[in-house]
Amino acid sequence: MSLHTALVKTEEGKISSEKAKSFIISEKNGAESIFVGRVRNENDGKKVTGVTYDAHDQAVIKSFQSICNDAKNKFDKNAKIFLEHAKGYVPVGEISILIAVGAGHRDEAFKICRYILEEVKHQSPIWKKEHYTGGKEEWLPGHSLRPQEKIK
Amino acid sequence: MEIQLKLYGSSKLLSDSETLLIQLPENSNVEKLRNTLTKIISEKHLKSNLTGLSKTAAFFSENDEVVNDNYKLKNKELISIIPPIGGG
Repeated sequence: MSLHTALVKTEEGKISSEKAKSFIISEKNGAESIFVGRVRNENDGKKVTGVTYDAHDQAVIKSFQSICNDAKNKFDKNAKIFLEHAKGYVPVGEISILIAVGAGHRDEAFKICRYILEEVKHQSPIWKKEHYTGGKEEWLPGHSLRPQEKIK
Repeated sequence: MEIQLKLYGSSKLLSDSETLLIQLPENSNVEKLRNTLTKIISEKHLKSNLTGLSKTAAFFSENDEVVNDNYKLKNKELISIIPPIGGG
């Protein structure tokens, strides 16, 4: 098995970098690239306490698999890829997304990692609600899946 | 006719429930749904910062596929509203 994708419900578990490292290891691969996204304590001058991630589960998993397969076809068909994203409340400092890639060479490993991250942000139906000190909260703006020419 | 709008992201400000029932004339399409949503937001949710939602949102059918504005809605159909996305 060369591909693992999942949405991890925060009330049921945490994203584990150890699990990711074990998944991608292979004697065939000479390079590993790991991207870990965490919740920051500040955004746009506001003190953040945590982020709630909402997701359209089935569509997210479909998009994850399609993005990862595209990345393999584009850069390295033998790459091993682990992709998990959190769903639910994630406090500051905790992992929201983890992408781990094992590939033949470093260039492919870096490229696959970056490609997946950017495509997830533009294709996967996931939303962020930031929580601030003082109790305020706000849904963040994002990228519309509607064709731009239709948005007047 | 009526449809069930499954709410995601910022559209959850429209209701405390996971879905919002929306009444529409017979034979309505997604464009009509957008117009009705604009009206609902302007009448009931002006302060919630949702004013552009009906234009920027995409809609998914029950097969999780984007449906265009000409898509004919069926009575009782479950449609997901997909506000602009931004994971990571």
